[in-house]
Amino acid sequence: MVVNPREAPTPTIAGDVAPLAQGTAGAPLRQSNLWRDAWGRYVRNRAAVAAGAAFVLLLLFCVIWPFVSPYDGNKLDFSLKNEGPSLSHPFGTDNFGRDMMTRTAEGGRVSIGIGFAATIAILLAGVAYGAISGFVGGRLDNAMMRVLDTLYGLPYLPFAIIILAIFGDANFWTMVVALSVVSWFTTARIVRGQIITLKENDYVRAARAVGARWYRILGRHLLPNTLGVLIIAIFLELPGVILGEAFLSFIGLGIGAPDASWGQMANDGRTAYRTSPHIIAVPSIAIATLILSANFIADGLRDALDPRTRET
Amino acid sequence: MALLEVNNLKTHFFTREGVVRAVDGISFEVESGKTLGIVGESGCGKSVTALSIMGLIPKPPAKIVDGSVLFDGRDLTKLPEKQLEDVRGREIAMIFQDPMTSLNPTLTIGTQITETIRRHYDVPKRQARKKAVELLEEVQIPRAADRLDDYPHRFSGGMRQRVMIAIALSCDPKLLIADEPTTALDVTVQAAVLDLLDDLRQAHEMAMILITHDMGVVAESADDIAVMYGGQIVEQASVNDLFDRPEHPYTEALLGALPQIEGEGIRAGRLTAIPGRPPDLKNPPPACRFAPRCKYANANDTCTTVMPELREIHKDHWVRTAHPACERAGAQVPVQA
Amino acid sequence: MSTPVTTNPAKPPLLQVTNLRKHFPVRSGMLIERTVDHVKAVDDVSFEITEGETLGLVGESGSGKSTTGYCVLQLLKPTDGSIRFEGQELTTLGREQMRRMRREMQIVFQDPYASLDPRMTVGDIVAEPLLVHSIGTKKDRRSRVRELLDVVGFDPGFTNRYPHEFSGGQRQRIGIARALALSPKLIVCDEPVSALDVSIQAQILNLLKDLQQDFGLTYLFIAHDLAVVRSMSDRIAVMNKGKLVEIGPAEELYASPREDYTKALLSAVPIPDPRAMKERKAARRKLRHALAEG
Repeated sequence: MVVNPREAPTPTIAGDVAPLAQGTAGAPLRQSNLWRDAWGRYVRNRAAVAAGAAFVLLLLFCVIWPFVSPYDGNKLDFSLKNEGPSLSHPFGTDNFGRDMMTRTAEGGRVSIGIGFAATIAILLAGVAYGAISGFVGGRLDNAMMRVLDTLYGLPYLPFAIIILAIFGDANFWTMVVALSVVSWFTTARIVRGQIITLKENDYVRAARAVGARWYRILGRHLLPNTLGVLIIAIFLELPGVILGEAFLSFIGLGIGAPDASWGQMANDGRTAYRTSPHIIAVPSIAIATLILSANFIADGLRDALDPRTRET
Repeated sequence: MALLEVNNLKTHFFTREGVVRAVDGISFEVESGKTLGIVGESGCGKSVTALSIMGLIPKPPAKIVDGSVLFDGRDLTKLPEKQLEDVRGREIAMIFQDPMTSLNPTLTIGTQITETIRRHYDVPKRQARKKAVELLEEVQIPRAADRLDDYPHRFSGGMRQRVMIAIALSCDPKLLIADEPTTALDVTVQAAVLDLLDDLRQAHEMAMILITHDMGVVAESADDIAVMYGGQIVEQASVNDLFDRPEHPYTEALLGALPQIEGEGIRAGRLTAIPGRPPDLKNPPPACRFAPRCKYANANDTCTTVMPELREIHKDHWVRTAHPACERAGAQVPVQA
Repeated sequence: MSTPVTTNPAKPPLLQVTNLRKHFPVRSGMLIERTVDHVKAVDDVSFEITEGETLGLVGESGSGKSTTGYCVLQLLKPTDGSIRFEGQELTTLGREQMRRMRREMQIVFQDPYASLDPRMTVGDIVAEPLLVHSIGTKKDRRSRVRELLDVVGFDPGFTNRYPHEFSGGQRQRIGIARALALSPKLIVCDEPVSALDVSIQAQILNLLKDLQQDFGLTYLFIAHDLAVVRSMSDRIAVMNKGKLVEIGPAEELYASPREDYTKALLSAVPIPDPRAMKERKAARRKLRHALAEG
């Protein structure tokens, strides 16, 4: 075991390798991207892909169809009322003779719109609360979590109803507020958990060692690494909010007629379900499809982004 | 006849990105009562070797594509899973590296030991517990009887490793495979655990395969050593012989890269670094796997086109290289393919 | 060949740690958490490091060596004691002042996988220290990053890649480049090679030695591997359960340790010499049997 005196100036890795090197030793082991890896894993999950396709198709349908449809969703035509699905009306007509297909698309815009808006509100509130609590830690974290624990006790739907009552009017934005005000707690918890875990990583310590200020650590190191968890949270919160809106509309507290939302449409079809089941069936199937696909997407994303399955 | 005879074992992993030839044709023997040390760095295939012997490789991506593992005359690679399960624990036992995760945190250690015993022997619980206490005493866990119903988290790393050893010994196996048993332990605890393994081995007349990356550990505990690199055995000899005259350039380099504790000029000197990186086992070099990093290999040498065979260069000292040390030191012997 | 910088007796040592203590409270209680006990991770540790020197800090797990390193850099707030860098007391510095001080002292971490932000490119990671202290323009920073990567033996062409694309040894080089970015005087090396294979370990240790010579660095080298510490250090301090057991010149400490703990530690280190190891084992066995009978 001879210890050699220094022979030459430090060569680069590429230069270290003897002439028989297969490729540069300094080259990366695998050229890939974290997102691309995740995408690859996602597309291998057939259920997730099918769900993703269904979700996207449903979205496109709701966005595009009202522009393309020959019918006006709000046009009453009693001569056509309660017709089952046919070639001219693929989803049939409702008790006012309105084309169901157009109404489904228009209703979808409202329901999904409220869904996404509320989800974003939930995310913003949850991230803000959870990030502060997790990042600061200590007694503030304790206090914030105890407050959250008490808030958890608030029943979701009754509270939403109360808030709508306070507003007096149920329109797009009041619905968004009502649905999001008591739904952000889980997201806050999840974000806090992530931040606490991430805080322990050496790269966060490294940023502090270098003199980075708290906002840089939070904004550049912690939150971007929470992205995976947040994307999953979106697809987990969305179904709950959509169902919430549907329920409120179904019991008559939602967005007023003649504007459609899926819950409203289901409400319209409630009385006639025995003679014209399609009136309640169509919006219900739409809601179910959206919720199911969102859940499967969330599952697929969780598996795809799971750090344990990530190749190092 | 040797207790364990591995012949030309090849275990490949069939992944989306290609076939990883993790173990690519290794052969060795372990005699009853002796310890074989398998040394190598990460990725050389030593753990996969151990798992292949036990049949514990994950069967979807991995597969034993060739070779045989003869244990007491039977070829383990050809045994159906049920019979393998009978062999595991009872005749061949294994202990793993990380004591923190190798024990089930939701079961008491008593349960984990008795579970093993009762899997292989039809004995009542009381008797199994009695045996468990005996085993814990043998691995020097103080107040063994009291600690039988403790959960793993109440034990330190070194103690957990002893519990693992107790579980491994519970059915008096003929062969113990220890995969990096002391790597996660402090150096003083490591010495104690190695001593324990040695005492137990002698008392139970067990053979042992000790897998490690630490040359000091094998120097202490092994009778024979196999050095692995890139999924192959590149040098095999008795422990004294290997350290006295390492023949393979990799073995030499490995020994040279070790920081020393005693000697002159340590602070000022540099370690012999091996340039480059271990080979990609999906696309290993066409012939000798060490050639790209070997300082004796040139582009024109045969070892870059033809795989050097494992040959007996001294008595009971095998090496797989075209540039063994004894042929380098000024000898005029032409390089053999 | 490197020789330690001869100390100028008139100059204060670069780093002076006096009576350092770091206690972690043990909390218990259901509704209201109360502090019931303290874990004395670092318990009255004192040492000095002269400029250009490497002080090795060695100990087993739980000895408090890493905690000491973090306290020196004020990544953890010491419970008690004084830490002076070039005569300046660090524990009483305001946040902004400490921030400026950080340019003089940096750290290399143990885990090459956790010490680099997986969502930043290699270039961004090494540039971050410069960015945080608003040093130079974007272009200046880019060229400095290339310079640093070159110096640590990492191909500067790969600044746009992500850490996970590289091996452990390469990542450690990135971490070292980051530590050098602000041209610090002191670098705390916290187990920098423990997670690496022997052959890569040797590369990184050689690199650290070269950098020390080229840039006049001072190292606090923390590790549990006694051989690694021996090969890197001028003086060595041994820690056990938070206390400093022994400190002295490397060669002396290893050749004739004074304290029992140091002796026990050294005798437990496996060395790649089979005959010596077998003798040691036999001696230990005799000792065990003697103890068992006695």
